[in-house]
Amino acid sequence: MRRVLHLEKIFISQYLKQTMEYKADFIVGVLGVLLNQVLNLIFLQVIFSQVPKLAGWSLQQIVFIYGFALIPKGLDHLFFDNLWIVGQKLVRKGEFDKYLTRPINPLFHVLVETFQVDAFGELLVGVILLVMSSATVHWTLLKVILFIVSIPFATAIYTALKIGTSAAAFWMKKSNTITYLFYMFNDFAKYPVSIFNHLIRWIISFVIPFAFTAFYPASYFLTGKNVLFNLGGLVVISVVFLFISIKIWNKGISSYESAGS
Amino acid sequence: MTNFLRKYRPFVSAGIEEAIVYRANFLLFALGNTLGAFVTYFLWKAVFQSSTNSSLSGFTFPEMVLYIFLSFFTGILTSSDGSSSVGDEVKDGSIAMRILKPISFTANYFYEEIGSKLIDVGVLAVPLFGGILIYQIVGTGTPVLNLGNLLLYFFSATVAYLINFYFNICFSFTAFFFRNLWGSNVLKNALVIFMSGSLVPLAFFPPVLQNVLKVLPFSSLLYTPVMLYLGKYSMQQTISVLLLQIFWLIFFIFLAKIIWHFAIKHLSIQGG
Repeated sequence: MRRVLHLEKIFISQYLKQTMEYKADFIVGVLGVLLNQVLNLIFLQVIFSQVPKLAGWSLQQIVFIYGFALIPKGLDHLFFDNLWIVGQKLVRKGEFDKYLTRPINPLFHVLVETFQVDAFGELLVGVILLVMSSATVHWTLLKVILFIVSIPFATAIYTALKIGTSAAAFWMKKSNTITYLFYMFNDFAKYPVSIFNHLIRWIISFVIPFAFTAFYPASYFLTGKNVLFNLGGLVVISVVFLFISIKIWNKGISSYESAGS
Repeated sequence: MTNFLRKYRPFVSAGIEEAIVYRANFLLFALGNTLGAFVTYFLWKAVFQSSTNSSLSGFTFPEMVLYIFLSFFTGILTSSDGSSSVGDEVKDGSIAMRILKPISFTANYFYEEIGSKLIDVGVLAVPLFGGILIYQIVGTGTPVLNLGNLLLYFFSATVAYLINFYFNICFSFTAFFFRNLWGSNVLKNALVIFMSGSLVPLAFFPPVLQNVLKVLPFSSLLYTPVMLYLGKYSMQQTISVLLLQIFWLIFFIFLAKIIWHFAIKHLSIQGG
């Protein structure tokens, strides 16, 4: 474990050096990510200027769900964004070779190689929103503990979907658009599932289970109801998806063939 | 004129070829983006269901549905990503090859983009615009399909594309100063999505903000064609928004020329 943390530290500092090469551009980018979230909030504000409650949820409650959604999304973005590059070019250009020749687990190596600092934009906004809306939640010690526990599991759902879909590149050479298609379903997670039709509700709960990264756990903290489904479901789904995606990844690596030259 | 066309035709076919190769990718990508439009659709559906009014800021629910999907389609129709390649080409130095060629820098990008755009729009127009038309004909309470508005829409959307192209060219020249365009692209896209009315119709904003946004060039990129399609403007308003669009087009064409004149002196190629 100490070795893992040590390696992670080295990779992070290396990556920061790369990013800082274009400093002005980077700072502008972080501002852009922040602004994007702020504008989305203005959108919510516009919606709630028309109606007092949306499908039975108040603005504050929606803000809490929205803020919750940004935390696992931001954490996955911060630590594990390199998975996109696997499906985009690492496999296609044969650059994946380098991971296989190093004395660490290839998946681990891919995961820790980048540290996407612009994710701080999402995380910052997420934390601000949670703080702003935390008065709507009746916090108890149990809820605080469950909140902390639920975050890594929710993050794992994002990462699992990215591992599984980027592994498709081992067979198809390029799979980043598949990852993108899956990833875009996270947009649905930020709102109460009751506003969607049955098909979409079913998909975002059990097929591409982003609802478990935000709405379900957040609704437990807001209402205190259905802890077994809302949080138990989160744990089960995230463990199952992570297990399956690592299986796919390992199967993919064994059929990886480098690009000829 | 024929000489002119002969010179640029290879770029169109190169763009088409590239687009076909990546069509599968493009379709998946487009499908991913469509999801965003569906999220917006369900949100507004819930808003209209929760509200006691049948029309919000002048929009009935069927009009809102048309607005959501039509603004999504218009966004694809008028999108222009010349600026992203300028950034990459400045970064790896390959921009030098473009500048060396005896053809206009801007026209080079334009014809390349037209080629791939023909394919993109062609592939998406059938399911998306077809869906919009079917909804309009079959759906209840939808605005009546109007040939005049349809023509106005296509004219206005074409102008919108040209504005967007020149706007992005102007913007891309910042790569000559910043070297890398990722950050400024993120910032620009966030602002354009908001100010062009693609996130929420401008009619929902407070009157003061609305008036400012309607004059700025961004409303010309998306809001104007979509509102024309929906027949929301009187004859007089129609003329004035179209004139405003043309004004912004001319403005950005000239701005691109001026910036190019200065930016070219600033260009430094890294490595080689």
